[in-house]
Amino acid sequence: MMSFQLHVWGPAFGLDSIDAECLAAIAAFRHIFHHDDWSLTASNDTSLTPDYTLPALFHDDTWTSGYTNIISYLRHHGTSDAKSLSDNDLTLQQEADLLAYSSYLSTRGSGLVSLSLYASPNAWVELTRPAYSALLPFPLTWTIPTAIRAAAVEKAENLGMGYLAAEAEADEAAAKSGAETTSTGFLRLRQQLGPRKSMQPEQTAAIRFQQLADDFFTTLDDLRGSRKYLLGTPSPSSLDFLTYGYLALMRVQTPYPILARSLQAKGRPSMQFLQMMEAESQGYVLPRQESKPRGLPRTMYVFADGAIESIAGAGESWRRWRRGGIQSDEGEEVQDSAQTLVAVGSAVVGLAAVAAAVFFRGLSPFGASTHRFEAPKEETGLYRFGEVGAMLDFLPIFEQPPTPSSRVRDTI
Amino acid sequence: MSSTAEGLKARPRPQEASDWFTIPAPLARLFKKFPLLTYPPNELPARSPDIRHVPTLYVFISDEDALKGLPSFNPSCLKWQTFLKLAGVDFCLRSSNNHASPTGALPFLLPPSTPNDTRSQRPIATNKLEQYGLDNGKPKLPESLGTRLEAYESLLDHRIRNAWLYTLYLSPANADLLTNLYITPTTSSRPVRATILYQLKHAAELEILKSTSRDAINPAHLYRGAKEAFRALDGVLGDEEWFFQSAVPGLFDATVFSYTHLILHDGLAWENRRLNDFLKEFPRLVSHRNRIFQRCWESGE
Repeated sequence: MMSFQLHVWGPAFGLDSIDAECLAAIAAFRHIFHHDDWSLTASNDTSLTPDYTLPALFHDDTWTSGYTNIISYLRHHGTSDAKSLSDNDLTLQQEADLLAYSSYLSTRGSGLVSLSLYASPNAWVELTRPAYSALLPFPLTWTIPTAIRAAAVEKAENLGMGYLAAEAEADEAAAKSGAETTSTGFLRLRQQLGPRKSMQPEQTAAIRFQQLADDFFTTLDDLRGSRKYLLGTPSPSSLDFLTYGYLALMRVQTPYPILARSLQAKGRPSMQFLQMMEAESQGYVLPRQESKPRGLPRTMYVFADGAIESIAGAGESWRRWRRGGIQSDEGEEVQDSAQTLVAVGSAVVGLAAVAAAVFFRGLSPFGASTHRFEAPKEETGLYRFGEVGAMLDFLPIFEQPPTPSSRVRDTI
Repeated sequence: MSSTAEGLKARPRPQEASDWFTIPAPLARLFKKFPLLTYPPNELPARSPDIRHVPTLYVFISDEDALKGLPSFNPSCLKWQTFLKLAGVDFCLRSSNNHASPTGALPFLLPPSTPNDTRSQRPIATNKLEQYGLDNGKPKLPESLGTRLEAYESLLDHRIRNAWLYTLYLSPANADLLTNLYITPTTSSRPVRATILYQLKHAAELEILKSTSRDAINPAHLYRGAKEAFRALDGVLGDEEWFFQSAVPGLFDATVFSYTHLILHDGLAWENRRLNDFLKEFPRLVSHRNRIFQRCWESGE
């Protein structure tokens, strides 16, 4: 009886998954179930679930997505022979801590992971984008990773570090325009002076990033202290697995390993915790299952969806229309007709703007001379614009000083 | 002969230079005539004081309430207003809006101005207000309360804030309240009002989506999240007077108060009362709100 199917993002960086919540879900399942009782599928396909989120659990013909939702589903539908999490018998204080620290991890923690693996341009080019390329079939590697990165950069912005990505793009453009090294092989200093210009974007952001990382790990260190599990429970709780997921991704050696270095500094309790969690899971064979290939039509459908989403202006309206925007709540109809109208309207306007731009590109340039084979005298001033120009040329405000070219003609 | 050769040579240039954004020469000459008349700079408004003896905090508030020093109706403004009051900083309030702020967000604080000191003219943005309160208040704020506070702050900044954003900005039942608070004071023009309303709602929607990292907003999830967060806050407050066993209320208490006060405030005509109902299930949070209110606004000043 194989009833619990867990769908996740596939492996990367030597870990079981590229995503922190997926790592956490895998670790929790590893603890709860015997490996015959569940299956793990690296489907890499968010469109499987109604919420467009992985990890997702398929059980009893229902989809549950997101780590927290999966845990609470398991708490209510757990089988008797499975080991349970200590989530069920916590004190009020521990329950409050569980919620607060889970929320802390999924906001601050995920912001830091976004910063180090996605927003940082070197890590993105050298590590994360290749990892996604290995997970996804061909045309989807153009749309999905970029969308994921855009979302991650927004998270970094929440931490006040969004400029890292923006700066990197400006930097890339500058790098393309000129040679980077001198003939002797030294790094050529950029034209604009100042140390900022010659440094990698990660280096300029390093001080603030370091501070955020240290604060984050100190918060977790203080929670764990000398206890085995974070909440002081005899067996692990869902918070322990979530923390494991985030810490494992934070330890990944990026080109500028600020997070990893901060985590591994001075025997932090967080690092010891990560090693302990890894040691506990050794020797467990994950019940991996091949994911069903998507097939060409479905791949092209997902690709087209992603491509439309990335059209500037229209993409957002498209996503709202496709995925619901705001779901109605207990009879409250939120998506009123005006809003839909505006959404559709802005999509139309966006497309019209693109069409107009293409159309204008095709027209002959505005203001260029059109009568170039007529006598030179008539071409000066507004006569260039034909009859209307000739009429306007009598107006005093259009009087112009003689152009250099006409003066030259007179003297010759 | 020579003139035609000259003409031919001169001609290819305008074609090369023609770009999307090149203004035709006659139009450029026309625009150069402007401005036709330049007015002298306006005088400062009569109500702006030339020397300020007390710092001024600029918040979202109605003009009458600002004179009486009542709480602002915007959570992040109220948070800092409460914090400065708790810190014992003497300040006066001004009604303002985002466009007036140097950072684009309220609140900000203008320190008391002294002539010949340019530093005193510089406004203090939100992220520097905590330090300002600690430096300029009477020393009765709690010392650092440890790192647990940061974890609990994420509950306020995400779960409760998302539910707040949904309730005020997106819930159709509260549309009238939103209009009265943020739209009507800004303008009387109908099209402008409609545009601002749309922009506000859209910004709130984006904020929630960014915070939940989902593609759709599910109000049931948001409310469940907020309720759990209130339960956790209630649990961590316990039977203490202030959060984290502090002897005096601090910034965290001010942050909690900024939401609980507005949710429970009878002066705001809430139609969607879900958050209000949740909060009333946690009497310890309600009495925490009452304690702060008494300390800051009813202490017989």
